[in-house]
Amino acid sequence: MTAEELIRCHARALAAAGRLRLPLRSRVWKGQAGEFQGAGVGSSLDFQDHRTYVPGDDPRHINWQAYARTGQYTMKLYREEVRPVVDVVLDASESMFFDPQKAARVAELFCFAVEASRRSGANTSVFLVRGDAVRPLAPESISLHRWLDEARAMKAADPALPPDLSRIPFHGNAIRVLVSDLLFPGDPEHAVRMMAARQGSPIFLVPFLQSEATPDWTGNYEFIDAERKSRHQHRIEPSVLKRYKESYTNHFTMWKTACRRHQCRMARVACEPDLQTALFAEALPSGALETAN
Amino acid sequence: MLTLTNPAGLWALLGIPAVLAIHFLQRQAVIIPVSTLFLLEKTQRESASGRRLDRLMNSVPLWMQLLGVLLLTWLLAEPRYQKARSTQRVAIVLDSSASMAVIKDKLKEKLVASLPDLQGHATALELTVLESTPGRPKLYAGDNPEELAKALDAWQPRAGLTDPSQALRLARSLVAREGIIVYATDTPIEAPPFDARILSLGEPIDNVGFTGVSIGEKEGAKVFQALVRNYSGHSTSRTWQVELPDGTKTEPRTIDLGPNAMVTLQAAFPEKAERLKLLLSPDKFTLDDVLPMVVPQPKKLALFAATGGAYEQLTKKLLRSLDATEAVNDTASSDLTILSYDPLDPVLPAGHAIVFVKDETKGGAYLKGGIVAEKHPLIDALNWQSLLVRETIQLQRRESDTVLLWQDKRVLIFLRETPATAEAPASRQLCFNFDLRLSNASTLPAFIVILHRFAEELRDAKMAPMSELLESGQPITLAAKTGADAPELTVQTLGLDGKVVKTDTLPAAARARLDAPLEAGFLKVRQGETELLTASVHFADTREADFSACKPENTLDQGSAAAVERHTEEDHWWRAWFLLLLAALLVSWHFTREREAAKKRAAEPHPA
Repeated sequence: MTAEELIRCHARALAAAGRLRLPLRSRVWKGQAGEFQGAGVGSSLDFQDHRTYVPGDDPRHINWQAYARTGQYTMKLYREEVRPVVDVVLDASESMFFDPQKAARVAELFCFAVEASRRSGANTSVFLVRGDAVRPLAPESISLHRWLDEARAMKAADPALPPDLSRIPFHGNAIRVLVSDLLFPGDPEHAVRMMAARQGSPIFLVPFLQSEATPDWTGNYEFIDAERKSRHQHRIEPSVLKRYKESYTNHFTMWKTACRRHQCRMARVACEPDLQTALFAEALPSGALETAN
Repeated sequence: MLTLTNPAGLWALLGIPAVLAIHFLQRQAVIIPVSTLFLLEKTQRESASGRRLDRLMNSVPLWMQLLGVLLLTWLLAEPRYQKARSTQRVAIVLDSSASMAVIKDKLKEKLVASLPDLQGHATALELTVLESTPGRPKLYAGDNPEELAKALDAWQPRAGLTDPSQALRLARSLVAREGIIVYATDTPIEAPPFDARILSLGEPIDNVGFTGVSIGEKEGAKVFQALVRNYSGHSTSRTWQVELPDGTKTEPRTIDLGPNAMVTLQAAFPEKAERLKLLLSPDKFTLDDVLPMVVPQPKKLALFAATGGAYEQLTKKLLRSLDATEAVNDTASSDLTILSYDPLDPVLPAGHAIVFVKDETKGGAYLKGGIVAEKHPLIDALNWQSLLVRETIQLQRRESDTVLLWQDKRVLIFLRETPATAEAPASRQLCFNFDLRLSNASTLPAFIVILHRFAEELRDAKMAPMSELLESGQPITLAAKTGADAPELTVQTLGLDGKVVKTDTLPAAARARLDAPLEAGFLKVRQGETELLTASVHFADTREADFSACKPENTLDQGSAAAVERHTEEDHWWRAWFLLLLAALLVSWHFTREREAAKKRAAEPHPA
């Protein structure tokens, strides 16, 4: 992808972030002061409870009117306001970028996740993962569009290995957005558990191509593995194609089942329509995103 | 039985590997990057590399094309089915020349082995075997290869060079137009008549053999001279020796012969030996490697000159020029009398005679007019045009006389034949109706020849023992006693070892005719107790001994399409197969077109 294309993808992501946002309000947050109601007692204007004064309390929150009535110091308690924490993880494997259409959609989703997180004032951390290689991404890399170069520069021991999420230093009690096509073998249970660890709230944004889901192969093919660049000769008969489609469907059914078990949100985003159409079609119904107002 | 009229059509089966190769090549037609390979490999393990055959299954165009190739092969091979009742007639004409003896065994094996091919597609075979020599009986007729082999074993080719046309014509008439004629020879002929096929197994072999023998007299001893010839184009050497009747042999002597050279072997005939054999070290052609011989002894002709001195010189010359003659002094004991006609004593004596006119006047003018010879064996092909004759007195002619030579209307020579009577035997008299001394007849070759012919006829008709050197198969005429009490002629054929091989009898006849045996050996003919002939028989056909023109040739397989059509019938389903072939091609084309469209779609930017 060229820099111009990255800029255009970023622009489309910003536009989408204006209409959609991450589902930050659907949960109670703890942490630094911010715009979202925290689980603890804080200094916001929202009254929460009374309790007896104990030495050390902030005297500004003594309910003087109650003291006048009862002669005892009573403290007014207010709900705290905290900044949510969002970890955005991009699967930087080759399968995400081998097709221009898919690469554009990956760039859009990645930028959208980062920008939507920033707009909501969340403390955003961005990670790139490729097999067993993990790399944190500086915040300015996205706005400067250098993130793609950094992602492609990553070297994994085996590019075909599933992304090793255990190496990512996830924040506790954070929303974790994984942008990945999930096209790697293995049990999805492990990956979902890793994403949901330490009270994390995983959101899977999964770009996919119609040619992956419903290919029209027939005859002899020489397939080039996107990850390893190895060549594989196959003859595709109608029966084989049918079994492939069933396998593809089963693969994502397993992911959806795992996500449902761990109360994760997963949205498969088609690459062919424009970004907002695709997000509204899949991400909004699944609860992975919500409207901005 | 199924027959492929055009076996070359089976080459169309090469279309099967071609179709398979094309389908294999097609597997690399579409190259696309893919991110879901792990899903594909998990579900399609049977399509992995290394199982190419599986990858060819279930492709409709492939199966249709393979079916098309098979149908096309079937149609091109033109299969035909054997008819239930079809007979192939085959006539084999064997070259009966003696040189075939060399390849007889090989020919037998080849012919027996060729019978299935000759039978071809027919259900039955009708076989006739003839010899190329006209007039010989069939060697074999039937359909049994073993009996054919026996007949060929018994066959003895001993004849000379024979024109096979007559035998081939007979063979063609036997097998009709559709039959096959095979001319088995060792010297192939160009463009054999009557559509005959040639089977020649001959080859130019090096042969050395006797070509002839003569026995003369030198210094009172009988000396034979045998001619040995090398028929090959390069030098060779042989040994020869003489074998006497008691089995003793002389020491072998070596002779060296240059290319195509002839050498004369000469030696004295042992005085007491009746017969002997000359032996040459054997080669492949053995017939001319042995030369039996006896001392030839022609029948003696007794001459009596009764010309009174007028024709003394002529008589002496005649005695000198004729072989085996003796002079006698009376008519009764003579076989031929030379007479001069005296008008004062016009009665001629009985018996065989040559009669001249004796005219002492010497005054006649030369005869005028054309000289015309009658058609008669005695005078046939003789030239008398330079004959000059003076008019002389003439013999008294009888009506029964046969005129041999005319000058204008005057008879010059006539033949008087007197039939046998109770008192006297038959006689012939050759009469010269002019005075020989008053003509130039004695200087004419024709005159000498007619005298010799007459004398030899008399010698042939004389019943007397004789010895001869005969060639195999040579015709012989023998004078024998006739009459009611005349015994039959006994013909004894003796082998080379002098033992009697065969004894035949012939009815008594004034001129008994027989042929010398085909095998070398000896021959004896007797009438009662009278010995008529003692002879040796040797092979002396130099054309048969020369193998330089022999060469192999085999045109047995020049089968005609007509024979196949006659014995087989076509596959009646060929039209259905043709339509099925078209259908297969159309179906293949239809599915291929669909696949081509899919390929085009895949060739566009269409990764997975």
